[in-house]
Amino acid sequence: MPMKGRFPIRRTLEYLQKGDLIFKNQVKIMTVNYNTSGELSEGARKFVFFNIPQIQYANPWVQLVMFKNMTPSPFLKFYLNDGEQVLVDVEGKDHQRIMQHVKKILGKSEEVLHIEALAKMQESNPANFGPKKYCLKECICEVEGQVPCPGTTPLPKELTGKYRTRMAASQE
Amino acid sequence: MFQVAGGRALPVARLLAPRGGARVESVRGRKSRSDPPARSKEGRIKVPPPVDPVEMVVLKERFTEYQLIMRALRLEFKEEVLRKKYEEETGSLAEERARQEAQEHQILMAWNDAENLRMLKLRQLRVQKETEEAEHMKQEVILQREQEMQTFIQEKEQEILQLQEEAKNFITLENLDERIEAALDNPRNYNYAIDREGRVVRRTVLN
Repeated sequence: MPMKGRFPIRRTLEYLQKGDLIFKNQVKIMTVNYNTSGELSEGARKFVFFNIPQIQYANPWVQLVMFKNMTPSPFLKFYLNDGEQVLVDVEGKDHQRIMQHVKKILGKSEEVLHIEALAKMQESNPANFGPKKYCLKECICEVEGQVPCPGTTPLPKELTGKYRTRMAASQE
Repeated sequence: MFQVAGGRALPVARLLAPRGGARVESVRGRKSRSDPPARSKEGRIKVPPPVDPVEMVVLKERFTEYQLIMRALRLEFKEEVLRKKYEEETGSLAEERARQEAQEHQILMAWNDAENLRMLKLRQLRVQKETEEAEHMKQEVILQREQEMQTFIQEKEQEILQLQEEAKNFITLENLDERIEAALDNPRNYNYAIDREGRVVRRTVLN
């Protein structure tokens, strides 16, 4: 059974995860003004059709608004945290060029993304044991292949502290 | 019943319990609140376990020391975490980073503005070209119209002249008689055959 709609590949996870435009933390709203007809608006239309799903998937907390046929020429407008507005003219540009342009001015760079990924990995270090909020496991007895929790199954006598102290005391 | 905290290996006697004391915690167990105590327990006075004062003193010292150290360690760690967080947000490095980012942002915005200007110039050129083209087209259309009018007038004049020429040969009331006479004098024979190649065949004779 084939997928429904035009270019249903836009709705696949693989396609959405390919999108690599992650906005900086200051960007809150992105507005796209474009026209439904006309050669000059073609790039903007393609941008809206193909790239907007990827952007929204990567930035779920950024508001994306589209406006059709309101202005004679297409443009993008970004509203930042401190009230600054960034205008990007996209008349006659190709949708890939628009994407590159936006990535350059308002996207997180590769190094920043790398650092963030490292920090995130540090949080989920399997060598750390503690509360569920901060670590993966609370005790080593939860890991497969380790000694089970003495709370559920009693330890063999030779491993208990009291037996070993008794043996050490009797030897002396 | 005494409440022995599970997991604590060291004995922690309750110092608050008075001598010969009756004030000891009890656990609910099997019976509910309103059930009377058993007859075998009548006259029973529960006494807490005896406390050795010497041992107690030693234990108290050790415990205070231990708890002091533990509390100190905990507070140290908490402080370290808070300090890290503070450094992260409002330390000198953070300021540097913020300044750097602001600078980069400025540069990128300047670049974006330059791009916008370039697009503006292109657009102005394009619009100018389009207006010129429109003007040109309009002029051409006007010329075309003019030319068509001219040819029309020419044709009509030709027709008028032609008609004037032919009018000389028209039959009027004055030359009616002469024309009839002329026609009767010169009979014309229309009985001929013609094929597609234009070969004319006159066989019939008029009489």
